[in-house]
Amino acid sequence: MADRPDMIVARGLTKRFGKRLVVDALNFAIPSGRVVGFLGPNGAGKSTIIRMIAGFHTPSAGTVEVAGFDVTRHPQAAQARLGYLPESAPSYTEMRVGEFLKFRAKMFGVERAKRKRNIDLAVKRCWLEEVVKRPIGQLSKGFRQRVGLAAALVHQPPVLILDEPTVGLDPTQILEFRGLLRELASTHTILLSTHILPEVEVTCDQIIMIARGRIRAQGTLAELTTAIDRENRYVIETDAPKAVQVVREMKGVREVDSQSIDGAWRRLTIRPNPNAGDLRESLAAAMTQANCSFRELHQQKPSLEHMFIQMIAEAEVDAPPSATPSRGVAA
Amino acid sequence: MSRVMTLAGREWRSFFLSPVGYIILAIWALMTGVFFISRSFDQGQPASLRAVFELGMWMLLFVCPAISMRAISEERRMGTFELLMTSPISETGVVLGKFLAVMGFLVVMFLPTAVPIVALEWFGQPDYGELACGYLGLMLAGAAYLSSGLLASSLTNSQVVAFLLTMFFWVALAMTARLLPGVLPAPWPNVAFAADPDPRLRDFAIGLIDTSNVIYFVSLTVFFLLATVGSLASRRWR
Repeated sequence: MADRPDMIVARGLTKRFGKRLVVDALNFAIPSGRVVGFLGPNGAGKSTIIRMIAGFHTPSAGTVEVAGFDVTRHPQAAQARLGYLPESAPSYTEMRVGEFLKFRAKMFGVERAKRKRNIDLAVKRCWLEEVVKRPIGQLSKGFRQRVGLAAALVHQPPVLILDEPTVGLDPTQILEFRGLLRELASTHTILLSTHILPEVEVTCDQIIMIARGRIRAQGTLAELTTAIDRENRYVIETDAPKAVQVVREMKGVREVDSQSIDGAWRRLTIRPNPNAGDLRESLAAAMTQANCSFRELHQQKPSLEHMFIQMIAEAEVDAPPSATPSRGVAA
Repeated sequence: MSRVMTLAGREWRSFFLSPVGYIILAIWALMTGVFFISRSFDQGQPASLRAVFELGMWMLLFVCPAISMRAISEERRMGTFELLMTSPISETGVVLGKFLAVMGFLVVMFLPTAVPIVALEWFGQPDYGELACGYLGLMLAGAAYLSSGLLASSLTNSQVVAFLLTMFFWVALAMTARLLPGVLPAPWPNVAFAADPDPRLRDFAIGLIDTSNVIYFVSLTVFFLLATVGSLASRRWR
């Protein structure tokens, strides 16, 4: 793969509101053509980071670049290359959908010759054909969300930032939306903020996990899950009574938990030693050698959900950056 | 600049998509009409809109805050403020666009006063110089009121608060000059008189263009517009 230029670059990105440190010296780079998931609990600082990228807030320290333009020094150049869908997809409810898209296109300096084509494409991509002439205030939440998305696409920016884009969409629309995201990914760099974990697993190439204003983990989904490989489990379903003993005596096995399920069948849950590697083959070989019949053997990878919860727990244990109040100094 | 015009155009059209715009137009047309009929439209009276212009300051005091109150507060309330401030347009551009829109609405609002002028032309010989001067005064005062309204609108996401702040400010200026000079120490009574917009508008109403009056309204307008730019920019640091 050819070297991709980085479309969003944050260096030491920091934001304080008064004395409260909300975003703490973030560094990340998002290469062109990637769909990156921004994950974190509520109040993690996701929206503040996004607002700094979009030029709504100015960083207290550090810089952020969009498509090569420093957002603080060249805000308009950066903003012109950015399509931003804020949380709750605001729009002018008294305007008609078509008018609103035209207004956004003009605000982003789309030339007259291209305007109609861009609007038509955004309308088609966001399935808005049937409501183009309706006032936005009369539309359902799902339609308004799509209007917001169309407004973010209408000037065909290379970078898209979508804050909770699937809120208010029904399951069919969510599936369609994922399709749209994949389609857009070929021509856009997309930063997707969400706390819907399955969505990230399905749509994102890369994940940045944030808690308490810091990056707790980043990488591809595979990288993140292997990073917590020690949390792997192996599950065997067997009807041989001696299987527990056989497995327990194997190298690399730390702990075996046995649970009876139906009749003679038992489910063994095996915790490996750290760095034991993949035990599936040796488990199967040991079971066969000992003449233990089994009907299932699989590796249980930790889910993203699992990791998410663990990350938040770790962030709580860490000295939280915002929990250093300076009052009491005079006492 | 085309973005400023795009913004101004959208804002201006939005007045005619909400009942508020029409209510303001109706109130203004009614008040000017009533004043004209009751005070000017009579035998022996001079063929002028002087009565309308003289009361202009008080009428604008109610009407202008209502025009400007939603300009920015509504964007904040609806969340579109974030869309607006992340568009490739500077704070100055946003304030200019909003200001052009409210001034454009003011022009539309003044259109019905053409009817009394037709009546004057029909029954007498109006002095068009004096009429033009009266309109200039209303526009200048309107600009000052509206720009202060934009500032108030940028400080709150409640239209009512924006309306009351704007009106209170100008009523306070006028009232200070009327009620307090007797109790104020040395230079302050003069300051209070100078700050009162009412006598300045009366000068315009009788066809007098005094440079100090023009400077008064223009400098207040510029001051309020700059303060609004500052108010919008302050979100970056908060």
